[in-house]
Amino acid sequence: MDFATGLRISSSGLSAQRMRMNTISSNIANINTTRTPEGGPYRRKDVVFESMPETKNFGEILTSEPDRNLQRVQVTDVQVDRGAPLLKYEPNHPEANADGYVAYPNINLMEEMTNMIQATRSYEANVSAMQATKDMAASALEIGR
Amino acid sequence: MSGLFDKTTDALGSSINFRLLKQNVASSNIANAETPGYKAKKVDFEQALSRALDINGLGQMSTDHPDHFYANGNSMMNVGADVYENPDITVTNDGNTVDLEREMAELSENTILYRATLQLINKKLAGLAYAATEGSGAR
Repeated sequence: MDFATGLRISSSGLSAQRMRMNTISSNIANINTTRTPEGGPYRRKDVVFESMPETKNFGEILTSEPDRNLQRVQVTDVQVDRGAPLLKYEPNHPEANADGYVAYPNINLMEEMTNMIQATRSYEANVSAMQATKDMAASALEIGR
Repeated sequence: MSGLFDKTTDALGSSINFRLLKQNVASSNIANAETPGYKAKKVDFEQALSRALDINGLGQMSTDHPDHFYANGNSMMNVGADVYENPDITVTNDGNTVDLEREMAELSENTILYRATLQLINKKLAGLAYAATEGSGAR
């Protein structure tokens, strides 16, 4: 138990939220993408957060029971939305099928924007926590001065 | 511990240790504010401190014979605080129980009280330094 533990936990929150932000950016950028290397329209991606006990290194995992009360967060998976694509009637579009429909990604811009705001706020909360821990560590160095 | 550093110094020492634990638990809650199924944790700081200070005297083992060992010498630093799942919560539909605003408030409160405790320690040490230099202005 030291200050580094708190800093590591906060930084895990920062990288998880950054990863989420990248995924949201990808979703927004590809909102009209009809062609992908896998074929078909772009599919919406979503990150999966998982909490796990904070441990320093491999040796610590082997030798001691980790403290279950201190959990860092990690992105363990990026899930692909397998929902049906949005079909729009555009017979002149190069990607149109025999009936004249084009398959667009089923992405709701409003949903992505609210997720983005949420990710920003969570990121800021982690930055504040990190700052507070850093201030505490700095003031501990002032003992006896 | 006796002599130069009395019970107050010990209490302040264990107090900042508890504050550090509380800080790490709050950081963990904030990092997992959006993890599905994560349960918010809470540190029982006040109870742990009063147990460490032994306010009601129940933890004290008395010595009434010269051959008795002095049993509770430096026990104060080794007292662990209880960390448990916060029962006072609102559950969201993904099973997460972290209240981000409350955690942020707890965090800033904790930082301020940590600094206050450090100031008390510094004053305590300044008092000792003053006595050690016979008041001739080391500080």
